[in-house]
Amino acid sequence: MTMTNLFTIILLLAGCFFFLGGTLGLLRFPDLFSRLHALTKVDNIGLGLIAAGMAIHIGSPWAALKIFLIWLSTLLASSTACYLVAKFQLGRPSESPEVPAK
Amino acid sequence: METYQIYSLASAVIFAVGLAGIFTTRLFFKKIIATKIMGGGVFLCFVSFAERDALAFADPVPHAMVITGIVVAVSAAAFALALARRIQQLTGQETFPVEEE
Amino acid sequence: MSLWIDSLLAVLAVFLAVRCLLAPTLPQCVFLFFAFGLTLALAWARLGAVDVAIAEAAIAAGFLGVLLIDALRDFSRSRSTGEGGDRPSRVSQGLVGAGVLVFLVVAIEAVWRVPNGGGLTALAADNLPQSGVDHPVTAVLLNYRSYDTWLEVGVVLMALLALFATGGREYFCRPVVRAVDPLLRQVILLFTPVLFLVGAFLLYLGKTEPGGAFQAAVLWGAGGILLHLGGWPVFASMAPWLRHLLLTAGFGFFLLLGFLFMAGGGALFEYPLAQAGLLILVVETLAALSIAAALTAIFAYFNGMSAESAEPFTPASS
Repeated sequence: MTMTNLFTIILLLAGCFFFLGGTLGLLRFPDLFSRLHALTKVDNIGLGLIAAGMAIHIGSPWAALKIFLIWLSTLLASSTACYLVAKFQLGRPSESPEVPAK
Repeated sequence: METYQIYSLASAVIFAVGLAGIFTTRLFFKKIIATKIMGGGVFLCFVSFAERDALAFADPVPHAMVITGIVVAVSAAAFALALARRIQQLTGQETFPVEEE
Repeated sequence: MSLWIDSLLAVLAVFLAVRCLLAPTLPQCVFLFFAFGLTLALAWARLGAVDVAIAEAAIAAGFLGVLLIDALRDFSRSRSTGEGGDRPSRVSQGLVGAGVLVFLVVAIEAVWRVPNGGGLTALAADNLPQSGVDHPVTAVLLNYRSYDTWLEVGVVLMALLALFATGGREYFCRPVVRAVDPLLRQVILLFTPVLFLVGAFLLYLGKTEPGGAFQAAVLWGAGGILLHLGGWPVFASMAPWLRHLLLTAGFGFFLLLGFLFMAGGGALFEYPLAQAGLLILVVETLAALSIAAALTAIFAYFNGMSAESAEPFTPASS
């Protein structure tokens, strides 16, 4: 019992850490592409860890399956949205002013 | 201090914030959003009192009223947005005209 | 501990509301409004109102957010909040500030001292066995106060008709001309059955647990909106009689049922005890279908409206 609790706590903390990192990246990165990178990759890991922690905490296989499906659909949606935003930015006529000039 | 009291106080503040927003902006768009924020305050008030009256479960009547209210508020906001967009398309106006005195 | 979380959420909601109204550009305003709606949804989950939380997150933050983003195409984007040169005079600003402050004090005082009448919880709980469902909120929505729900379906329909009145119906049937990304189309194709299934699940779940017609309706409506965005304007291009049937089925069936009950000697919406569960499920399904159709139609109308300005959405920095 305490073992599962410990696992849950560790997973949730790790998930929160990744979320924090992703948000930091969103706020601090200079241009749209690296912001997208931070937002989609790091946040998906964070969400996955939190979902895993909750699944362990609930301890029922059906609930775990539902949580896993939720995570999967979020992955799909966020990567599609990321792709669309990036593609829009690339296709913009105004020479993409937000691409870093180095 | 009970849980519901925190939220009912917050609901009064949110309502006042929305009210101030309606008065301080001239843009239709922001006025609509400010109205929605006022609505959020009212709904929060309802739900916090439902929690106060909870027995085995929270009072379901305010919950049901808030669910209906959310849908009605969104319908009204959609209509308001459509009106604002039409006004903008037909006249180019995005704000209320300043009245001359 | 939990008191701290609640205080933090309440402060966050107020903070987001203030920031939303003070945001310098309209897109920022819209996204802060999203965040405000989701914070409210969290607050409602904390208050034990899971149905309300789902409805808020789905309809008020999700659906309205889509409409707001779509409307951004028509409104100037980069301009700071519009007061600009013709800012109201200092005197009137002070007056407004003082008035709102007085109002705030009165409102807090009023909220603080609302008399504790005990609510209707006990009454709702006592009658639950006769309502045909096991979840109290669904019982209130579709049995005790079903005329509210009936009229609400009507209000959504009215909103659609009012939209038509603002600018003519031709927006609605305008064909989609833009090219749609093939990847987006595939993902939408993948998501459509999932959304439909989850909506049906929520609808059925409403009998015993949080969920129900409105939440299902929004999911179905989201499916319709996604299909519309993916270049299949299913709702706009279906046969008119089918469209009208879908839009009015919920309202009409409610009305018919009410008349039948009255003809049978009961009150309006007084469900017979034996069939209450089944009838509620049928009514919920039809109402959800109608609301979903109306939401899709509202979005289709909005989207057609901006096609007129023929200018793709570009963020503020361009």
